[in-house]
Amino acid sequence: MASQRREWADEDEFDDPNALPQNQIINNPDGTKTTITYRLGENGKKIKTTRKIKISVIKERVNPRVAERREWAKFGREQGNPPGPDLSTTTVGENIIFKPSLQWKSAEKEEEATGALKTQLKDKKVSCRICQGDHFTARCPFKDTLAPVGEAPPDESRPDSPDLNAGGGQVGGSYVPPHLRNKGKETGASSSFGGGRDRERDDLATLRVTNLSEFAEEQDLRDMFERFGRVTRVFLAKDRDTGRAKGFAFVSYHDRMDAQRACEKMDGFGYGHLILKVEFAKRSQ
Amino acid sequence: MRPILLQGHERALTQVKFNKDGDLLFSVSKDHVICVWYSQNGERLGTYNGHLGAVWTVDSNPSSTILASGAADNTIRLWEIKTGKLLKTWELPTAIKRVEFSEDGLYLVATTEQRMGHLGTILVYPINPDVGGEQADEPSLKITLERSKATVVAWSYLNKYIIAGHEDGTISQYDSKTGDQLENIQLHERGPLIMDIQMAPDRTYFITASKDKTAKIVDVNSLNVIKTFTTDTPLNSAALTAKKDFVILGGGQEARDVTTTAARQGKFEARFYHKIFEDEIGRVRGHFGPLNTIAVHPAGVSYASGGEDGYVRLHHFDKSYFDFMYEVERTRAQH
Repeated sequence: MASQRREWADEDEFDDPNALPQNQIINNPDGTKTTITYRLGENGKKIKTTRKIKISVIKERVNPRVAERREWAKFGREQGNPPGPDLSTTTVGENIIFKPSLQWKSAEKEEEATGALKTQLKDKKVSCRICQGDHFTARCPFKDTLAPVGEAPPDESRPDSPDLNAGGGQVGGSYVPPHLRNKGKETGASSSFGGGRDRERDDLATLRVTNLSEFAEEQDLRDMFERFGRVTRVFLAKDRDTGRAKGFAFVSYHDRMDAQRACEKMDGFGYGHLILKVEFAKRSQ
Repeated sequence: MRPILLQGHERALTQVKFNKDGDLLFSVSKDHVICVWYSQNGERLGTYNGHLGAVWTVDSNPSSTILASGAADNTIRLWEIKTGKLLKTWELPTAIKRVEFSEDGLYLVATTEQRMGHLGTILVYPINPDVGGEQADEPSLKITLERSKATVVAWSYLNKYIIAGHEDGTISQYDSKTGDQLENIQLHERGPLIMDIQMAPDRTYFITASKDKTAKIVDVNSLNVIKTFTTDTPLNSAALTAKKDFVILGGGQEARDVTTTAARQGKFEARFYHKIFEDEIGRVRGHFGPLNTIAVHPAGVSYASGGEDGYVRLHHFDKSYFDFMYEVERTRAQH
């Protein structure tokens, strides 16, 4: 008996460096289970695997006759074919949106109109009026800094310019501060006012993306973020000399809800070799 | 909803039909083959080979053991659904346009063409529900139609009447025991034939579809018209949906005129009407030929349509379909 008793120091697990720890199963309070298993990898390294398992029971009532028929062997032209749909006879069509309503006719017309617009624009090349790039003017990164091409900045030497007269009340040559330019011209006034509003709303739905790799492309960003909703603007800061990304970008959404979702989903997303950090842009002071 | 496209046929579909439990879908077309599909995932279970002409019609018995089919090779055939084995062939002088099992599965009604000096007939065969059993050689009832051939036939509740739709747009009611014509009314316009009759689940009323661009719901006993659905295209098929009070109508321009118009104007859509209010509530596009046949799952969860284009499209309804209610229906549901 005494010879069988082992000293605490004799525990062989204690000395064996290759022994694997016990597998563990932990019941979490939220009803899920965490299992931790250990195994040895190819190169002798220990590998710890942690699995979180949620078990949900889905009960389905099936007519026993129907269940029996599911087991039938195929026959005729399908004879000998394995169970499961055959792609040569069964395919899934494109999604049809079918929403019964009394106003289905007007809804369909609307849909048709937008569809027609889309096909009309499909062949058109989009070009920005500001920088001639292949994006909409509204999405131009320079829209706040540059005037549209061909639309010359207010020409001060032109004597009959109505906004000048209205602005300064002076004739020719003298400097008119920017906030007084276009004053009196109704469209100009409303656009500049609206512009201010737009920017305010923009800020609410604008995300700041940081920790971007320097090889990031604006189009990639747009593709990534467009999954969550309509993106109105993508601005990728680039180094003026090298043309490489500086490591941060701004993405504006049309809808704040989309921005919210994108923020949640894209924060921590791996892009290039880095992990993105996405947060709502703070208002610049 | 994402339709499942079933491409088992090489020619125009003539009829699609669910079995009573709704798990199997049978389709027949002009290419001589009968296909059976699992309605859940669109998997083809098998084919029934043997007909030598366009297959016009198909029906399964209530226990889903025996399948009946009628074709242009002048035969009615019975098949074992499970294996595809041919059980019985009845040779007739002309083509068979429609077969239907009675509610209890003990009788089969069929209608034959009027052709080559033969008058159109309505035949009733007794059916032995035992798959391996002997089937009778002769019909138990034969109604000869002197005036106008029947294009479609159906059983009423408890096998009481046989309802037939005729080529001249009339509907007849026959006593299923004696074969006497009890009633005959001009339901649709004279001339365009009645293309389809489908019974309600309880077989107390039915819906007809006609080339005169209307579909009508008619009472089985009195043959009174209960509802009328007017469309802008010739109809080939009409189906009643379970669970929701809708009807689905299908049709489109005549196949021979299709090449002269754009697909958009061909009106190759399944049209959904409210059964009670008679309003059109939506359309489902997809086919690029006229819809020849429509069938609704007995539980009302899906529907299948077969077109002149050779495709069967199987649609499982999604939530928006079941959520749709009229204001009055919603109020009633709340109280």
